Amino acid sequence: MNNYLDLSLEELHELLVKKEITPLDLVKEAKRRIEEQQDLNAFITINDKALEEAQNLGEVEEDNLFFGLPIAIKDNIMTKDLRTTCASKMLENFIPIYDATVIEKIKEKKMIIIGKTNMDEFAMGSTSRTSYFGAPKNPHDKTKIAGGSSGGSAVCVAANLTPLALGSDTGGSIRQPASYTGIVGMKPTYGRISRYGLVAFASSLDQIGPMTRTVKENAQLLSILVGKDNRDLTSSNQKEEDFTRKIGQSIQGLKVAVPTYFMSDIVSKEIKEAIKKTIAYLEKNGVTVEEVEMKYLDKAVTLYQIIAMGEASSNLARFDGVRYGFRADDVDSVEEMYTKTRQLGFGDEVKRRIMVGSYLLSGENAKIYYDKALSIRDDMKKEFDRVFQTYDLLIGPTTTTTAYGLEENVDDPMKSFLDDVLVIPVNMAGLPSLNIPLGKSQENMPFGLQIIGKAFDEATIYQLGAFLEGGRHE
Amino acid sequence: MSKYEKTIGLEVHVELKTQSKIFSSSANTYGMDTNTCVNVVDLGYPGTLPTINEEVLKIGVKAAHILHCNITKRMHFDRKNYFYPDNPKNYQITQSRTPIGTDGYVEIELDGEKKKIGIEEIHIEEDTCKSAHRGKVSLLDFNRAGVPLLEIVSKPCMKNKDEAIKYLEKLKELLFYGDISDCKMEEGSMRCDANVSLSKEVGKLGTKCEVKNMGSIHSVGEAIEIEEKRQQECLEKGEVIKEQTRRYDEKKKATILMRVKETGNDYRYFPEPDIPFVVLEDSFIKEAIETLPLLPDELRKIYQEKGLSKTQIEKIIANRPLSNYFNQLLENDINHSLAANLLLGDIAAYLNKKNLTLDQTKLGKNRFLSLIQKMEDGSLSSKNLKEILDEIMESEKDIDDIMKEKGIQNIKDDTVILQVIEKVMQENEASVKDYLEGKDRALKYLMGQVMKETKGSVNPKMANDLLIEKLKERSV
Repeated sequence: MNNYLDLSLEELHELLVKKEITPLDLVKEAKRRIEEQQDLNAFITINDKALEEAQNLGEVEEDNLFFGLPIAIKDNIMTKDLRTTCASKMLENFIPIYDATVIEKIKEKKMIIIGKTNMDEFAMGSTSRTSYFGAPKNPHDKTKIAGGSSGGSAVCVAANLTPLALGSDTGGSIRQPASYTGIVGMKPTYGRISRYGLVAFASSLDQIGPMTRTVKENAQLLSILVGKDNRDLTSSNQKEEDFTRKIGQSIQGLKVAVPTYFMSDIVSKEIKEAIKKTIAYLEKNGVTVEEVEMKYLDKAVTLYQIIAMGEASSNLARFDGVRYGFRADDVDSVEEMYTKTRQLGFGDEVKRRIMVGSYLLSGENAKIYYDKALSIRDDMKKEFDRVFQTYDLLIGPTTTTTAYGLEENVDDPMKSFLDDVLVIPVNMAGLPSLNIPLGKSQENMPFGLQIIGKAFDEATIYQLGAFLEGGRHE
Repeated sequence: MSKYEKTIGLEVHVELKTQSKIFSSSANTYGMDTNTCVNVVDLGYPGTLPTINEEVLKIGVKAAHILHCNITKRMHFDRKNYFYPDNPKNYQITQSRTPIGTDGYVEIELDGEKKKIGIEEIHIEEDTCKSAHRGKVSLLDFNRAGVPLLEIVSKPCMKNKDEAIKYLEKLKELLFYGDISDCKMEEGSMRCDANVSLSKEVGKLGTKCEVKNMGSIHSVGEAIEIEEKRQQECLEKGEVIKEQTRRYDEKKKATILMRVKETGNDYRYFPEPDIPFVVLEDSFIKEAIETLPLLPDELRKIYQEKGLSKTQIEKIIANRPLSNYFNQLLENDINHSLAANLLLGDIAAYLNKKNLTLDQTKLGKNRFLSLIQKMEDGSLSSKNLKEILDEIMESEKDIDDIMKEKGIQNIKDDTVILQVIEKVMQENEASVKDYLEGKDRALKYLMGQVMKETKGSVNPKMANDLLIEKLKERSV
């Protein structure tokens, strides 16, 4: 039995170029691994055509690192002819007729999509337990959550079912599961990657990002996902770049800030200890690290709830049974069709957020809540800008704890927001942020470090991330 | 006549004349097979995002300029959330907080008096699907979904249906000439809802009722009058009018209740996060305005300066292709009134008869100029024109050749004309005498004889002048 998928991307590429292996071998191996670890419930749909696609790739492209490599895609990203459910009954049988822009890019690079990964329904949640298809399990302890909403993609990479996966991050949905499962996950700057074809949850916050085993591979994957897209007006004009270019450069002289809020009592002791060690290690290597007081960070969750739920209530209005997706039977009027379709098609968490969001935008509330939240969000952005005038990067823990039990806190709808208290501010400010594995708890559960950068400065994040990777500072 | 003060406000939607839809690249068409001009964006497919058609912004700027609005340079779009099957995303992208134009007016003239009808705002939005109901089944045509619309909201400032009709006619003329919309109410590219309210107190607005579903400007007038009457009857009976939406039934000549607005509609407006703020640069605005063609009131002034009568002016403006044709003649040194007469008379009759437009005939600008030249100098009489008009319109032949073939000569030679005049005078001494004695009618007779002798081929003006000259010689 082969275990090629344990190799680095560069090693795999070399073997492919030397024709010692073929893309078909890699797809077969990925499929075997997925089957062997089916109980992780990482995937909602497996691409039945993957083997055929791998066979038909043609001559290996020597200058294309990603040629023939298997990748997993979060199930809220449109893949033509491959079922895309958003982990909802609403789209249980939905076969898209177009590809998201990122999927076009992945297909251009001749990667093979192995399947669609499990997630919280419509990305609403932080445990992946709101999935209509059941929660994925944490490979480090199968009784624990994988985090969410990109839980399936995190599990996939953590268990090395495929070396690469895409997630999406609206309020920490890449970084938090990455922290819980011990992998590398990047939420790029808002606008870096086209959102065209990503099923919208909160349009002003959503961002697709790469989830990988190592920092370098993350930077490599990001490099092929970015770029201006005329189909997404919020995509930025930034030129494509090589995000690995600073990896290996000396970090001496970098200035790093640690927001005091990130080291407050909301964070578990062992995680704080690990961060302190990291700080000491950085200082030893010529990095200036200082604690800074930042306003508004503790308000981020509230702002997030208002903005994300308000936008979600509107974004999810299109799931009405009229044109696609689930439609309830036995209805006598349009109103009844709407009501029953949405009652039966959406899960509880989605319905809760739609209701709260609708309320928040109702009548005068729009001004009282949504407008106010947008204005405080601007202040929060300015606060980050202020700190970035002095510092190159911000660091802190990604999560306050490690992953908890699959059955824990099920009845507490606020818990899922509080899990994301440290990751949400970044979405509010539209900044890039990376999770790298930092250490493990006494229970042997992983937790991560979050590195936040200036807008469009992912390269410096990767520089520091690669330096700290692999626990050299322990 | 009535103790109630009536107030009317109009909300007009026009479809914009663009190549593609407002938020997608699908074609903006009318009359195509159902659901053939549709893509995933128009269908409100999951994951799709709106783009913005710059042409729409340009037309919006033009419209704002034409309607004397302030142009909003930094604007955004908003989502208007409501569930309805013809609304693909169940929200409509529109402009609620930053309409592209505000505080404008349209000037109308009623019974010789001018009045400015105020415009509250104009904003850009997307059209919905067209729906059709067949028993329990509803059908949707997405071709119309995403067609750009401009909504023009008047101030509640019209006092009667005549003002409303004048306003709509003027608005239609302006938007049509400004290339904003083709404004065809029968095709739905122009739609109008009327808000009608009655009040006992001068200067205070009553509760308004909105009336929809009028298929022509004429029926807007009808509906307003009928709704005013209905409200007056209600008020006289002591009833309280609730804010409501009504539908005009053209056959029954009545407005029919659709729904009463219990509370204000809650559309949960919020800024559309998928479209960043749009900043209209001064250069963009300037360019849009500069590409505007001449508008009706400007044309009226020019036509008047060119000596056209009021009737001629209005007839030409009512016919835009004719106006366009006429405009290319403005710089030429011709008798424009004569040209207008020719176009509105014989040529219009010809086009009507053959069901053609001018550009489908051979009468290009140069051919027209040579024709008008001949009419002006009298070498072609309007009587003779009638004989050869069909051929002028349909063949490539030179007009001179056509005239020659038909035996229409251009006798402009004095000596030839004089010979004929001498002959006629000799043969009609009695009439000559009559003329000299002051009987003007004799001149006409003599002139008729000249024309008869020459089979109508002399230049009539020239012949007339020469005849008078010769007669005067006799009197000495």
